[in-house]
Amino acid sequence: MPWQRHFKSKRVKEETILKNKYTREFLREEKKGYLFVLPALIFMLAFVGYPIIYNLILSFKDVNVMTFSKSVKPFIGLKNYIEIFKDPTMKTSIWNTFIFTIGSISIQFVIGLALALFLNLKFKLAEPIRGLMVVSYLIPMTVTALLFKFMYSTSGGIINELLMKVHIISKPIGWIISGNTSMLSVILTNSWVGIPFNMLLLTTGLSNISFTLYEAAQVDGASAIQRFFRITLPELKPAILSVLVLGFIYTFKVFDLVFVMTNGGPVNSTELMSTFAYKLSFTQFSFSRGATVANVLFAILFCVSLGYLGLIKDEEVIG
Amino acid sequence: MIKKKALLACLVVATITVGLFAGCGSKASTGSSTMASTTKTKLTLWHYFDGQAQQKAMENVTAKFNSSQDKIEVSVEFVPRAELTKQFTIGLVADKLPDIGLVDNPDMASFAAMGLFADISDKMNAFADKDKFYPGPIASCMLDGKYYGVPLGSNDLALYYNKDMFTAAGVQPPTTYAELKTVAKKLTKAGTTYGLAIATPKNEEGTFQYLPWLLSSGAKFNEVGSAAGISALSYLTDLIKDGSMSKEVINWTQNDLEKQFVTNKAAMIVDGPWIISTVKTDAPKLNWGVVKIPKDKVYASDLGGENWGIIKGHHEAEAWEFIKFTQQKDVMNAYCADFGYIPSRRDIAESNDSITKDPIMSIFLDELQYAMPRGPHPKWPQISDAMSTALQESFTNTKTPEQASKDAQVKIDTILK
Repeated sequence: MPWQRHFKSKRVKEETILKNKYTREFLREEKKGYLFVLPALIFMLAFVGYPIIYNLILSFKDVNVMTFSKSVKPFIGLKNYIEIFKDPTMKTSIWNTFIFTIGSISIQFVIGLALALFLNLKFKLAEPIRGLMVVSYLIPMTVTALLFKFMYSTSGGIINELLMKVHIISKPIGWIISGNTSMLSVILTNSWVGIPFNMLLLTTGLSNISFTLYEAAQVDGASAIQRFFRITLPELKPAILSVLVLGFIYTFKVFDLVFVMTNGGPVNSTELMSTFAYKLSFTQFSFSRGATVANVLFAILFCVSLGYLGLIKDEEVIG
Repeated sequence: MIKKKALLACLVVATITVGLFAGCGSKASTGSSTMASTTKTKLTLWHYFDGQAQQKAMENVTAKFNSSQDKIEVSVEFVPRAELTKQFTIGLVADKLPDIGLVDNPDMASFAAMGLFADISDKMNAFADKDKFYPGPIASCMLDGKYYGVPLGSNDLALYYNKDMFTAAGVQPPTTYAELKTVAKKLTKAGTTYGLAIATPKNEEGTFQYLPWLLSSGAKFNEVGSAAGISALSYLTDLIKDGSMSKEVINWTQNDLEKQFVTNKAAMIVDGPWIISTVKTDAPKLNWGVVKIPKDKVYASDLGGENWGIIKGHHEAEAWEFIKFTQQKDVMNAYCADFGYIPSRRDIAESNDSITKDPIMSIFLDELQYAMPRGPHPKWPQISDAMSTALQESFTNTKTPEQASKDAQVKIDTILK
């Protein structure tokens, strides 16, 4: 079998590497390797590392409108972190960010998976439909936000008009102007944007599942439901995992959509950590506080990524 | 296979970093640079006016200045408002700044405290027309007794009303809170027209629209939680409960108000003079007028408008030449007319027939004497946030007007401490 041969050759290769590990030749080879990595490393340090470290230092200082022009900014240790967690808005924004992320991902994933399965059925219009579906992912976020803002409006917004026409509701719902529905409204909007992303990645995963598996299952008399749970889902696991983690990271730091649609309002009902950090830094000029919130956001995402890397290490093959 | 893993890992890292720090990237812009080949000093001016007429006005005033002499050339750059605030603060670190910057007057104190603007007290004290400004606008240019800017032009708020709707309902323009309440109720037609519309989004604009009501009650800006302050917020909240005002006010901007007004969805709106030309183009046949905002105890409006500021350490002397140029009577009248603003100088505004004799602009001029500047205080943005939050809390029924006002008072006290 070809895969056995592949495995064998790999093992042989590894053994040679081990044998050569401390030989000069190997070291020379390795140095060459580092040379190739160097530009990327410098790039990463300058454009990724520097802002992170800068932000970290900023969060340990007291930089605000009053101290900004002073040459030495007071170093105040963890005070910003302590103070920010005393702020009720911070707690609200963390809670909101999780609700927003989990809500969006659940909707995106379920609909994305359903569409991927549907479009995986080989019918004539599958390809064009799949292409059209991606449109919502391509529209700039700000445009989407404005469109939905109009659609949710209580005076003449299409969503309220439609619901009233079919007599589901008798008077308009204040989708984004009431604290009870504003979060749901932004989640729905964000899901609309994210569905194609989920669908595309899952479709790729689906196309990698060998058809022979289904054939064999059918011969054994497995029902459609059994085939889905016993073949499709397990085979799709790596793709699902990456969709969920990438979706989490992507959604967790959404800013523009909420900033344009509600600016965190009404009151603080849709205030996310990203919009809160922006508000602190660029509206109230409390730069250190803003950096602190951004760092908390970063720390959470960093943990999620580490967990993800740990998970894919156990997985044999992705996609 | 390994490659795919690595690719995904990279993708993860990339998605985290790109975007999270996207806000930190600073847009490169040509600061001030004297070209060796020419003798002219080149200055850059940043502004955030997105209206076409206003952008044209900025171009006109700089073009006039550039052709009036041959030493200095000012070029205009438009930067959207949210971006401008960000660029000013980032620019302070990276020194990618223009030579002249325009700021909204309540932001002046913050930027001055952060060291963005040059202290121009010496230049101002030597300036002959220094005392001819209205007290509000010039106060907004000062911090701790020093001058950091010069008013560009001023505006304030007044009440626009639809004359045809008033005639149909048989009512007169209101002058007091009590009258406003009954009139608004009479003009409201469920489902089609609201009696009154204001704009209270969760930002400075919301505070701007709220202040006339607060100040009219007799409370000062730092007395939101006083009995008078509570009565102002209760009054507005009651208008929403009455149905005379839409719940959507918390999401509207002042430009949205104009749209509500010209489409007959609002019989009265509180707005500034900058929308006059838009109203005329949008609805040439609309029969409308402007009166002062009805009063509770005293007439009140608040001061809007922008200030010129000279960026510290850049071409300060040349920038001052430009600002002095804008202070000439005909120059100021011309650009203020384009802006729909009132000149910030008493001598110029009150000798301008197209303002004093105009039935609409004269009302705005009249309101200017009651217009209070916001702050000036370096922490005004935080005070403002406390106020606009209180409005939202009360208007959405999250808190009672009393509770919302008192909570805002606690925040304001902590900020001012």
